[in-house]
Amino acid sequence: MNMTTLTTGFVPTLAQAGFPEVMSQVTLGHYLVVAAIMFVLGMIGFLTRRNLIIMFLCTELMFQAAGIALIAFGRYHLDFSGQTFVIFVLTVAAAEAAMALALIVLLYRRKESLNAEEWKDLQG
Amino acid sequence: MINPYLLFGLLVVGAVGVVMALPRRGTNPQVLGAAVAGLAGGLLMLFLGLKAGPDKIPNLFFYVFAAVGLGGALRVITHPRPVYAALYFIMTVLASAGLFLLLSAEFMAFALIIVYAGAILITYLFVIMLATQAPEEGQEDVLADYDTRANEPVAATVIGFVLLAALTVMLFRGTSALPAPAKANPDLLLADMPRKVDRLLETNGVMGPKDVIDRTDWNAGVVEFTTAAGAKMVLERSVGKGGTLSEVAADGTRKVVRENAWPEDLRVTNAELLGFNLLRDHPGTIEIAGVILLMAMLGAVVLSRKQVQIDEDAKKARVTQLAQADPSFDPGSESPIELVQQPASSLEEAAR
Repeated sequence: MNMTTLTTGFVPTLAQAGFPEVMSQVTLGHYLVVAAIMFVLGMIGFLTRRNLIIMFLCTELMFQAAGIALIAFGRYHLDFSGQTFVIFVLTVAAAEAAMALALIVLLYRRKESLNAEEWKDLQG
Repeated sequence: MINPYLLFGLLVVGAVGVVMALPRRGTNPQVLGAAVAGLAGGLLMLFLGLKAGPDKIPNLFFYVFAAVGLGGALRVITHPRPVYAALYFIMTVLASAGLFLLLSAEFMAFALIIVYAGAILITYLFVIMLATQAPEEGQEDVLADYDTRANEPVAATVIGFVLLAALTVMLFRGTSALPAPAKANPDLLLADMPRKVDRLLETNGVMGPKDVIDRTDWNAGVVEFTTAAGAKMVLERSVGKGGTLSEVAADGTRKVVRENAWPEDLRVTNAELLGFNLLRDHPGTIEIAGVILLMAMLGAVVLSRKQVQIDEDAKKARVTQLAQADPSFDPGSESPIELVQQPASSLEEAAR
């Protein structure tokens, strides 16, 4: 395995002259494993950390993982809906960040703490 | 693709590493835990690629970006300080953008950097600055209690890695059973972009401004056009590089006019493919995305609005009430300075 075989794929434009390279199932598996590990790390962080800001950072981490999986599948099937969906994931992430951060600021003003457990006795 | 026992064994080692790396009080083997988790992840990737041929595994940059991204992700969930967690998350975003580039999603890679690292994460940093107390003068910067101790690290990690084990079963059951991808040719989309084709052929000197395209076949890579002088020309893309421009005589014989005539840009770019997919196949979802963003904006404005006016009104009403109940009440102790000089009657008017 020399350096050229390792690096030839670096600029793999889909629309290069002729047919695009077909992505192997092994390669797809690699990307999916990275996405799965990232998702699970985000989930563990969301469950264990008690700082509200870090909890929401962890949800963003899970969004990232979903985006990687979507784009990898889109590349495998040569279908651009995967990338289109990542645009919508970005939209939802931005909306979620705006709302969540506004909520965090509001909650922080009341109790001067970012501890999620401070809010376990919320009353509707 | 990989031996199941090996895979699940590595997952157990990784889980132990993650548990050790999570913040806790007292002795904190964070570095050791991160090293164990990183070792497990590295071995997993190594064994994944070992059996496959070198032409099937992703290239070197995949491993670099995956290591940076997953290392950053681990640090996001283990770092006790929120500011550093956010900065490590930016690193994860950049590494994901690198992975997107490797997956030939150039537009999304840069959109990710601009939107995530540029906008969302900066908002996070602002909120962290707003919602963290500065250490008092002469006092050492102490971490909050809830930042130094993870909540039920073992249970959460076990649950997470059971999920990961279920997800990675796809490696020996799912991905190999996927249908082989169809051989799609993105260049077919050029049929929808006649102006781009005209412009490129003209700027590259293949076609004159008055020439007319008669027939195109993007599957084979053939463009036939008639020059203003009436000559029939054929531009053909050759398999390797370039292409030939030839003149077709009336009896069908071809005379090569120019070698390497196929313009390099005469192909569909990632942004064009994505744009067509977005606007032609998913127009309704764009509307929904717009509504979501509008709602989020309204919600954020309503939620974070400082309710100063209401507080001031309540304060005035309270002062008036106290002044009525007790004529000797001095509002100076409880109210803003401008209220001190005003008689109670004008306060009542203001309250109305």
